[in-house]
Amino acid sequence: MERRNFLKMAGIGAITMGTAPAAFSATVCDKDVAFDKSYDVVIIGSGFAGLSAAIEAKRNGAKDVVIFEKLSMFGGNSAINGGLFAAPNTPMQAREGVNDSIETMVQDQLTAGRGIADEALLRHVATNAAEALQLTIEAGAEYHPYLQQLGGHSVARTYQTSVSCGAGITQPLLKMARKEGAVTQNRAKFEGFILNANNQVVGVKIREGYYFGREDSGKVINVKANRGVIMATGGFAQNIKLRMAQDPTLNHEVGCTNVEGSTGEGMLAMFKLGAVPVHLAHIQSGPWASPDEGGFGYVSNYSIYNFPHSVAIHCATGKRFMNEIADRKTRADAELGCRDQDGNPLPPIMITSYEHASQHPNCKKVLKYNVGWKFDSLEQIAERFNVPLTALEEQITEYNGYVKAGKDPQFGKIMDMAKDKYIKAPYTVVRLWPKAHYCQGGVQVNVNAEVLDSMSGEHIKGLYAAGEVTGGVHGVSRLGSCSIPECMVMGMTAGRNVMKG
Amino acid sequence: MKLVKYFALAAIVLSASTGAYAKDIKPWHDGFKCKDCHDQGLKSFPSDQSCLQCHDVDDLADATKRGGDEEWQNPHNNLHYGKELPCIECHSEHQKPETYQPLCLDCHTFKYEKFKG
Repeated sequence: MERRNFLKMAGIGAITMGTAPAAFSATVCDKDVAFDKSYDVVIIGSGFAGLSAAIEAKRNGAKDVVIFEKLSMFGGNSAINGGLFAAPNTPMQAREGVNDSIETMVQDQLTAGRGIADEALLRHVATNAAEALQLTIEAGAEYHPYLQQLGGHSVARTYQTSVSCGAGITQPLLKMARKEGAVTQNRAKFEGFILNANNQVVGVKIREGYYFGREDSGKVINVKANRGVIMATGGFAQNIKLRMAQDPTLNHEVGCTNVEGSTGEGMLAMFKLGAVPVHLAHIQSGPWASPDEGGFGYVSNYSIYNFPHSVAIHCATGKRFMNEIADRKTRADAELGCRDQDGNPLPPIMITSYEHASQHPNCKKVLKYNVGWKFDSLEQIAERFNVPLTALEEQITEYNGYVKAGKDPQFGKIMDMAKDKYIKAPYTVVRLWPKAHYCQGGVQVNVNAEVLDSMSGEHIKGLYAAGEVTGGVHGVSRLGSCSIPECMVMGMTAGRNVMKG
Repeated sequence: MKLVKYFALAAIVLSASTGAYAKDIKPWHDGFKCKDCHDQGLKSFPSDQSCLQCHDVDDLADATKRGGDEEWQNPHNNLHYGKELPCIECHSEHQKPETYQPLCLDCHTFKYEKFKG
């Protein structure tokens, strides 16, 4: 059967299914539909990628741009993420005398990607990351006046918003996108593509007035996209069935840092259209999350900041069990290995000197909201968390020796950021347990943010994708603070190229 | 017993005919009719603009203003969504307060002691 005929049939299927709930990701031919609305550029999703795509599309001549957001609020998962932005050759690196390069950042990511990351995409993102950072600053984003060195990065290259959250970027970008003239519509769920006779994406079906979880709420309309559709729909970490199909260990007992809308229908619709599925089984858990609060909470950023000068301790042994700044997968796997004698989860603890922990604003929050605690002695910590005291004391003494020597023979941690930061009283402690956080997998794109077809290898005309919905960029393990630059750069790339196409 | 049942039914029919029936509403909204809020039809949620017929976002943000390091925990002008979070993400007229909670508590352990539902 010719592809076109097949699509026509799919179109008929979609029409018959039209009244049934959850008829999403149907593909229909434009001959069969009347368009209710028309825009130059249609963007699905309002996180970093969708917002930056809208701004760039407008700046590159789009007459009208619309962002459709499924949830009631704008910003997607980006609005609740950690606000950490890695970029090489930035003004702050120049000021702090950090010697970095595009190539170093790419190499760090290739190492964490364990041989299967997409080098061309990583290089494209690293090359344009500083420019994307500048766009956020132009929009009004503010950053802490210091750099951080996150796990797996060989140097300090990470900016963080002064509110320690991605909302410090999405809120200014949303304002900027609207100022540029982009239309933003919430409660508007993507339900499938509309193609023309040449298999080009020329529109989308949108369920307006959609209330999350009520699949038959609202009404479906047909929206024309004169220049193209940009899919910026994020990951699927909240879709337990789908993530378990890829990785059965990520069952309902594993928490998740994402907004409830991270369920992946946009990605699935692209697969139905013919996009190449890449690395779907690589779903990253955040090793800095806490079992004492929901989602990303406050502890995540607290831990990310403090890991370089902290110890993570297995409560049953009183000993360290990992390099605290290894890449995320290494640490999450190590934490999941912390069990009691019956094999039940025994969340490890992270011990930090209060003097150093209190340098980050989240320390105050963590203590205030009772998701982290302050102690005057190791005895108190041992008693509270049932840790063997002598072993713990020995471990802290040993570790402080590594701080002095600048070398960690136990786990090979880079001790640069731990210089002179001994673990000493008073202490702060949080508990750690991984949460599903980020989907490395998704649809394959090229450096033009074009979505590739699995049969022809060519790009699907009229279709672009950016951000977490795309796959393969990072390989096995994405390094922390590398998602925002990817979303921003690829969003900008999509916004520019949709106007060239 | 039968009389009580009959009386209750009559009361429901009576209130139905006046348009305010079936669902409990919060006492401070006493006297409201369904259509006062349900501007998208009675089977749909009130629109995100419905509450704003009477409430002003800036006034609400001012009333729940917080200082110092809690500045952005103001539910009506919060860190993640500014002043744009639709009311029904936290508030409900017809559900029992113990069955739902403000959106923030999905991730945070904040205490909103004045939250009335």
